[in-house]
Amino acid sequence: MAFYLEKDFFEDVELFNLVTKVMSGDLTLHWYDAKTERVRISPKDPSRGLTYEDCNIGSYSYDRLPELIRTNYSMAPRGSELWGKLPDLGYTINRKSDVWADNVAALYEEAKARRWAPAVDVPWADLAVASLPEPVEAAMAQLCTFLQECATVEMSIAAQWVYSINQEFLELKSYLSAQIFDQARHIEAFRKRALAGGQGLKRASVTAEQALKEILSVETYPAGSVVGNLMLGSFLLGLYRHVAAVAPSPADFILFRFVMQDAARVVAYGSGNLRYHLTHQPQEVNVLHEYLDSAEHCLLGLIGSQECLEPLIILSGGGSTEEQVRVGCQRVGRLLAQTVSEYLERCERAGLTKRAERSRLPQYLQRMGIEGRET
Amino acid sequence: MAYLSTVDFFEDKNFLDRWQRNLKGDLDLSWMKAKTEKITAAAENTRRGLTFRDLDRGEYGFSAMPELIRQNRSFAPRGAELPDGLPDLQPAVSQKSEVWAYNTEGYYEEAMTRQWNATVDVPWHELAKYELPDEISRAYAQLLTFLTEVEMIATDVPAEWMGKLNNSFVEVRNFMATQVMDEARHAEVFRKRALTTGYGLMKASPQNEVGLKLIRDSDSFAEMSLALHLAGEGFVLTLFRFSEYISPTEADKKMFRLVMQDEARHVGYGVQHLKWVMRHFPEKREVIHKHLDEVENLLFGGGYAVEVTEPFIILAGKGLKKENIEQGTKITALFQLKQVEEYFERLDKCGLEERRKMSKLHNALELTRASLQEAGVLA
Repeated sequence: MAFYLEKDFFEDVELFNLVTKVMSGDLTLHWYDAKTERVRISPKDPSRGLTYEDCNIGSYSYDRLPELIRTNYSMAPRGSELWGKLPDLGYTINRKSDVWADNVAALYEEAKARRWAPAVDVPWADLAVASLPEPVEAAMAQLCTFLQECATVEMSIAAQWVYSINQEFLELKSYLSAQIFDQARHIEAFRKRALAGGQGLKRASVTAEQALKEILSVETYPAGSVVGNLMLGSFLLGLYRHVAAVAPSPADFILFRFVMQDAARVVAYGSGNLRYHLTHQPQEVNVLHEYLDSAEHCLLGLIGSQECLEPLIILSGGGSTEEQVRVGCQRVGRLLAQTVSEYLERCERAGLTKRAERSRLPQYLQRMGIEGRET
Repeated sequence: MAYLSTVDFFEDKNFLDRWQRNLKGDLDLSWMKAKTEKITAAAENTRRGLTFRDLDRGEYGFSAMPELIRQNRSFAPRGAELPDGLPDLQPAVSQKSEVWAYNTEGYYEEAMTRQWNATVDVPWHELAKYELPDEISRAYAQLLTFLTEVEMIATDVPAEWMGKLNNSFVEVRNFMATQVMDEARHAEVFRKRALTTGYGLMKASPQNEVGLKLIRDSDSFAEMSLALHLAGEGFVLTLFRFSEYISPTEADKKMFRLVMQDEARHVGYGVQHLKWVMRHFPEKREVIHKHLDEVENLLFGGGYAVEVTEPFIILAGKGLKKENIEQGTKITALFQLKQVEEYFERLDKCGLEERRKMSKLHNALELTRASLQEAGVLA
């Protein structure tokens, strides 16, 4: 084991005496006059319940969090009295503007309010009643195989940091927990969709997985958020919206509408975090530009992978005949242009100015013959 | 950079050429012939919907999963075709019995369907109609501070381990994801309740936090699960049950009932995991006992921290007067006894009946029982 308790409590005479004293009715009550702020909060709007925003008061608030957490490396909740020998839990992310976004508390509340359960909220039985043409079903199975790979990374990008983030950032950690949960649900939903349609899973994507591993291997939280939440998140949000629009069955429409609303939160947090980060650390603009210069090729690896692009073309055209493929190609071309321009617009709005001018993505799409939107 | 893709997609001409061909309608479609099993999974019970258990078929199933995952170390979902060139994610755990539990898939589905919302599912507005005595409010605020403190550890730890598990253990990873969310919600609900008492948060508990560090720093998943799911959360589950009993308002009783159902799931996973390990790897028995020696040290030290026992005594006795404290200490002693008894009962169920004979915690249990009998509290 890496850590042992400082005492063998079974041999601790001091503890034994204290317990005997307390259990015979002689309480210490050392906590009774804790030096903490007294508050009695209540819901501002009873129909919305008691939100984290309602708790944003005085020494308990997240607005008053300092930029650098120097005094609490333990699990003691923000606003409680810290006393005695609290352990150092080894947090490595202790700077608010590395992780914070002004919308985290609201996004966390939304995530809980919009919960859904794939087992019962998608009408799976309908898939058996009206089965899809084989090429379309195969395309959906392949796309769902690919999307599980993406959701695994979207889940891991949040999970790999939670442990390292100081407990003072409670609302942020709560939001990341919701993101982990949402993405687990996506993995479940896509797996179920592929296995319920008669085709099973298809082929994992070497191209996409190489890109995904590079995304997941990012070394800092701000860079991880911009590449995982904003770039990958924008791609997935655009893709889900597109598949919902061309959904081959009512069950697929419902499924993709559900995942879309979860993905929108990921992008909203990614944008909010980037904005907050750059507002408080403007010197980091170039660091993130340089990182994205090297990482944006991963977006190509995802959308250009055969295991994503080809099934998407078939689904977008409604089948695999020549005419359907032609229509599918046109629609997917527009999706790619839109995905890239939306991502770049979000970067711009969040403070990563002139990203569109610097990024190689628009030029690449032009080389492909895809007209980008004005950004 | 920790890892760079083997291809720079901006610079790869083959990638660009293929993409351009695709967008002109020239599709390869080799993925359509993927060598995977074709199945049509359907809900066995339509009221419960399509569950992970319904997917337990053929190469997709968890039942057919081998003990050692040798083939897949990538993001590929279990049962997909694995082409050459998939990256190695270096998972730290690729052995099924290190993570598996009977009914993992059932716990996951239950977690998904029993999500609740701390913002609206506790009748916060009703709290205004209760005016609690000062000593009860303070004691309750202190108990809630402790509960807020311990819950977030159970978010951090599973989140950390999720990334270390082979991706083939999808049901376990997903169950861990639900636990991460459950515990975040618990930290939220206890914090919110503390801030509605009129006192806010009170004092942290260093003695308990040292124990939490032991859980955080576990060297293996098995050690972590033993300390967190089975022992730590087992103790907390009993605490929730008694807290519901001594709760000052109906809103609080509802809150504890909600957290209890989540906690029971986590403990259930811990028990079923240990049972799985004992059945498949009985040779691990000695290692488990060695680890339990330190885990029980945590339970004993944390359980007797005054930041927990004293507010509990006041709440149980409903006040600070002598007769209240007398009543409170009796109930608290019974509660502590129950915590330890239930812990050993869980170990019995897992096949570790001999633990009682070698455990210092069990000695303490027997001493407590004897003193309660002597005081006439226990028959």
